[in-house]
Amino acid sequence: MKVGYYPGCSLLGTAKPYDTSTRYVCQAIGLELEESPDWTCCGASPALKMNNLLSVSLAARNLALIEKTDVTDVVAPCPFCSRRLKNANEELDVDPELKKKVLEVTGLQIAGKLSVHNLFAFIRSHIGLEAIRSRVRMPLKNVQVIPYYGCYVAEPGGASDESDPKNPTSLDEIMRALGATVLDWDFKTECCGAALALTKTEKVLELSGRIIREAEWRGADLIVVVCPLCQANLDTRQGDINSRQKTRHEIPVVYFTQLIGLAMGLSPSKLELNHHMIDPLPVLRKKGFLA
Amino acid sequence: MSRSNNSSSAKDFLSDVEKRSHQNLLECLQCGKCSGGCPVASEQVPGPRQLVAEVLAGLKQKALSNPLVWHCVCCGTCLIRCPVQISIYRVSSALCEIAHEEKMAPSVPDINLFEVLFLKSVENYGRLKELRTIAEYNLRSGHFLKDVDKGIRLMLKGAISPVEIVKGWEKDKRVSSIFEKARKIG
Repeated sequence: MKVGYYPGCSLLGTAKPYDTSTRYVCQAIGLELEESPDWTCCGASPALKMNNLLSVSLAARNLALIEKTDVTDVVAPCPFCSRRLKNANEELDVDPELKKKVLEVTGLQIAGKLSVHNLFAFIRSHIGLEAIRSRVRMPLKNVQVIPYYGCYVAEPGGASDESDPKNPTSLDEIMRALGATVLDWDFKTECCGAALALTKTEKVLELSGRIIREAEWRGADLIVVVCPLCQANLDTRQGDINSRQKTRHEIPVVYFTQLIGLAMGLSPSKLELNHHMIDPLPVLRKKGFLA
Repeated sequence: MSRSNNSSSAKDFLSDVEKRSHQNLLECLQCGKCSGGCPVASEQVPGPRQLVAEVLAGLKQKALSNPLVWHCVCCGTCLIRCPVQISIYRVSSALCEIAHEEKMAPSVPDINLFEVLFLKSVENYGRLKELRTIAEYNLRSGHFLKDVDKGIRLMLKGAISPVEIVKGWEKDKRVSSIFEKARKIG
């Protein structure tokens, strides 16, 4: 199966392990990724807040170029990228006036024939759990994971393929297929503070702090995420959260693709598990998972 | 609070916001479920319910300078909780857009500064250069050493590279023309 792959800016920078592990894992599960030709930024929330026409045009440029390839589906690992691409696709479909303006701005025609997906939900719905299970070489036995979807997955009709956006389950199911113990909790789609990390850091420490506290209380060995912003906030700010809350949390925060790769027998360094601020390897070793 | 003061400018403002955001604000019940779930609402930042009330009442200046419109991270919790499915983050975004167009000084300048630098990076290079944008934000906002400790630790792990900040200054034409035309057409 071949799909378009839109990595998004973060996956070239701070979320490089997400890109690396996505490419390895998709190859292993038979999902051929055709990288979006000559892709550029989706505009994210700053463009949305500055100028809606700019925001839709930035997403539309990518959609138009992907449409020229032979794929009908496109996956984006970053939930905000996939939400923006999907929303722009839908807005262009229902608003001919906007479509005309976007054509004028980008010089590109959009047929609207693409279907945009979140990577994790697409793997769950189109590759399936059996295909994942059959490739597991080292089940994540005894590893207690907390699936954290983040807020951008949860918008109704927005970013995910989940039947109930308020209570997504794909990530839980994928983790169970890897043999992990999946913990239930109340914060799976709560906001971590997202892009306020630089400007309103205190707010992010408060919001991410609640999530870390709850994960610790539930007994998580690892927090597994699908969003680059969630990963960055929970991982790199955990030290500051500890100073603020006078706690000693040390919960590693990893991408779901890294755990799929690990269970399939790929080496931790190949999956760049050693790139996170809080090293996940000690806890995995303690659980008897790594030699 | 009355729904509107019925003046034509109040109605124009409401319909402008509704058109830009594609949301029917007259359906708002003012129940406040959005504010109850809003992660960025605080003692300093009013929740979404108040923002919608300001738009409904035609209080244009008040709505445009409401700090919520800049703090909003577009998480969509307001929409999920809303009994009549109003996406208030689209309302916030529309108000930011109007504030930009009317060249109003942003009520929360640091968030706006970060977003302006983010878009400058995209306009210049086609893709966001994360580390350079963070470095530029720190310089411009006067927080020179903010998060430098984290940057160094991640560099030592090989997770990020300082080369990304200093390398690659050539401008990329792919999206700069999109910015130019979108500004013109609006």
